[in-house]
Amino acid sequence: MSFLQVNNLEVTFNLRNNPLKALQSISFDLERGERLGIVGESGAGKSVVAFAILNLISRPGKITAGEVLLDGQDLSKLSSKEMRKIRGNKVAMIFQDPMMTLNPVFTIGDQMIECLKAHRKISKANAKKIAVQKLKQVQIPSPETRIDQYPHELSGGMKQRIIIAIALLMDPALIIADEPTTALDVTIQAEIMELLLELCESNHVALILITHDLGVVSHVTQKTIVMYAGRIIEQGPTNEIINDAQHPYTQGLINALPQQTLPGEKLNQIRGTMPSLQDIPTGCAFNPRCDFILDVCTQLRPAFTQSGGCSVACHMVQAMKDAEKGQDAYE
Amino acid sequence: MSNSKQSVVTENSNSAKQSILQVTSLHKRFDISGDFLDSLQFKGGKLCRKRKHVHAINGVSLEVYKGEALCVVGESGCGKSTVARTIMGLLKPSEGEICFKGQRIDNLSNSQMLPYRRKMQMIFQNPYASLNPRKTITETLEEPVKFHNPSFSSIQVKEKVAQVMLSVGVDPNWGIRFPHEFSGGQRQRISIARALTVEPEFIVADEPISALDVSIQAQVLNLMMDTQQERNLTYLFITHDLAVVEHFATRVAVMYLGTICELAVTKTLFSTPKHPYTQALMSAIPRLDGKNSSHIKLTGEVPTPINLPSGCVFHGRCPHANERCNREIPVLLHQSDGSQAACHAIEENRI
Repeated sequence: MSFLQVNNLEVTFNLRNNPLKALQSISFDLERGERLGIVGESGAGKSVVAFAILNLISRPGKITAGEVLLDGQDLSKLSSKEMRKIRGNKVAMIFQDPMMTLNPVFTIGDQMIECLKAHRKISKANAKKIAVQKLKQVQIPSPETRIDQYPHELSGGMKQRIIIAIALLMDPALIIADEPTTALDVTIQAEIMELLLELCESNHVALILITHDLGVVSHVTQKTIVMYAGRIIEQGPTNEIINDAQHPYTQGLINALPQQTLPGEKLNQIRGTMPSLQDIPTGCAFNPRCDFILDVCTQLRPAFTQSGGCSVACHMVQAMKDAEKGQDAYE
Repeated sequence: MSNSKQSVVTENSNSAKQSILQVTSLHKRFDISGDFLDSLQFKGGKLCRKRKHVHAINGVSLEVYKGEALCVVGESGCGKSTVARTIMGLLKPSEGEICFKGQRIDNLSNSQMLPYRRKMQMIFQNPYASLNPRKTITETLEEPVKFHNPSFSSIQVKEKVAQVMLSVGVDPNWGIRFPHEFSGGQRQRISIARALTVEPEFIVADEPISALDVSIQAQVLNLMMDTQQERNLTYLFITHDLAVVEHFATRVAVMYLGTICELAVTKTLFSTPKHPYTQALMSAIPRLDGKNSSHIKLTGEVPTPINLPSGCVFHGRCPHANERCNREIPVLLHQSDGSQAACHAIEENRI
């Protein structure tokens, strides 16, 4: 039994006249200490997955099917009171924008101590001791003075470090990081990613990293999920996905990176844009943008095919696998 | 495509690189001391007025050649956008000169500036904020055409707009729609179209693709490269994404805390970065192959531009700093391979 198991998760937003399925049949699992990356364009539903795991989907959204099993306990069925014991305790979340996540009217220390006192019976002095120690862990210089400062006195990179420190306060078993470095500069981004990686490794914490930067995914995570229009279209070991992507969309995403073409050459773009969730094309959702379209692509939604360590939802890959099998049988 | 690019480069070198824009020792300070009473202070029993400034740009000199794409890179707060805005005349420089085709433009009045506004256009970072939400796309695009070509009949204006919309891949029939009906990539195309309607020669693009997804970034970059070839445009491209720079730029200027620390042809910069800051910046690019072991870690944070460090602005974080760096401000010096770097350690052959 995996540490985190997501089975057939479906999230629906009940808009005024029609229900909108933001996520459909999302299934994956994660072991303790394992790192998973979720990639896709904006609007693919990456962040909704993160919010759904923590049961943070607010109205008019709702988890309409499926389960999120953490150590065998279904988080999607828990009451908000029970859920509060999980959030920030067993599972912590790091959000995209460090300027928005910290409360501007409380000191760093207040915010850290509040979190500790909410989960444990602990004296203020002890809580402060733990807070200072965690700040040291995320390499904040002179944590004893920093702890009494307000968020506006710190730089963006520093704030994101503090958010990581807050996430680590209760020694969680899983951290969900939703684009943790998008709002930061290149040099700071590299530092923060390295820090996160180190801390996850040394504390044996599992990590779900949501990002649209395939470069970051490739050197932080072990497994990768590629999402498109609310569904998983490819998942498997990161190195296989980066080096030998099967799904045309994943290939497109990787080829669109400027590093993949010679300087001055035209970039390989994926034509068109992601469809709105209100009118997802029938068959494979990617078919209007796909270069390898077959007749069946516009009619039937592809099922997952196993290819190497990856499972891919694509008719073309399936057809190729079938052909290979046929050849093997013939020989 | 690569051939034609090549020919542009050789053409440039043949005609001895015709300069289109020249910036000489540009300074920009922002006064943050507040109003008169805020800036009063008691000092040694006397009342004196003390002013505080943010030193956003400290002596930037650069030249943009016709037909090239000069990229300015650096971390946030290093003054990239301020340089762009000052060049466009949106901010008045505190010191220094800006010349467009040999003509000084930084001291012109608004009406004197008008003919230059036609030749220089700007594309902004956030396509969600730079388009007026209450105007249809046609209205947005027609306005500059009408303003700069008062003699145009309404049919001519419509034709011009339709032609530009087609050239950036936006269907002219969508003109009756409002910006909120478009996706981010489409909006950025419309912003590019708006800049192109007056047929400029020089475009300043301030992080035009930072707010977009990877696949859409590729679309917009391709569009910008196509229009550069078709119209022989010159770009000043501001970004912090080095992968894009490597792909797009003819030359690169690396900025740190309001000064240029290295200026070189793209290939030279990426193969042999010289300035310690450039080296650190290069090593921080996340690569697909995951070989990032050589990442140079910089200690500390970018100092505040209110109290600039003495000497070289980078000396506090530089692994090669010595006592001279602490004291003396380095100047941009030409290197053997044609690049320019401002660093004492390079000058003294220490690195």
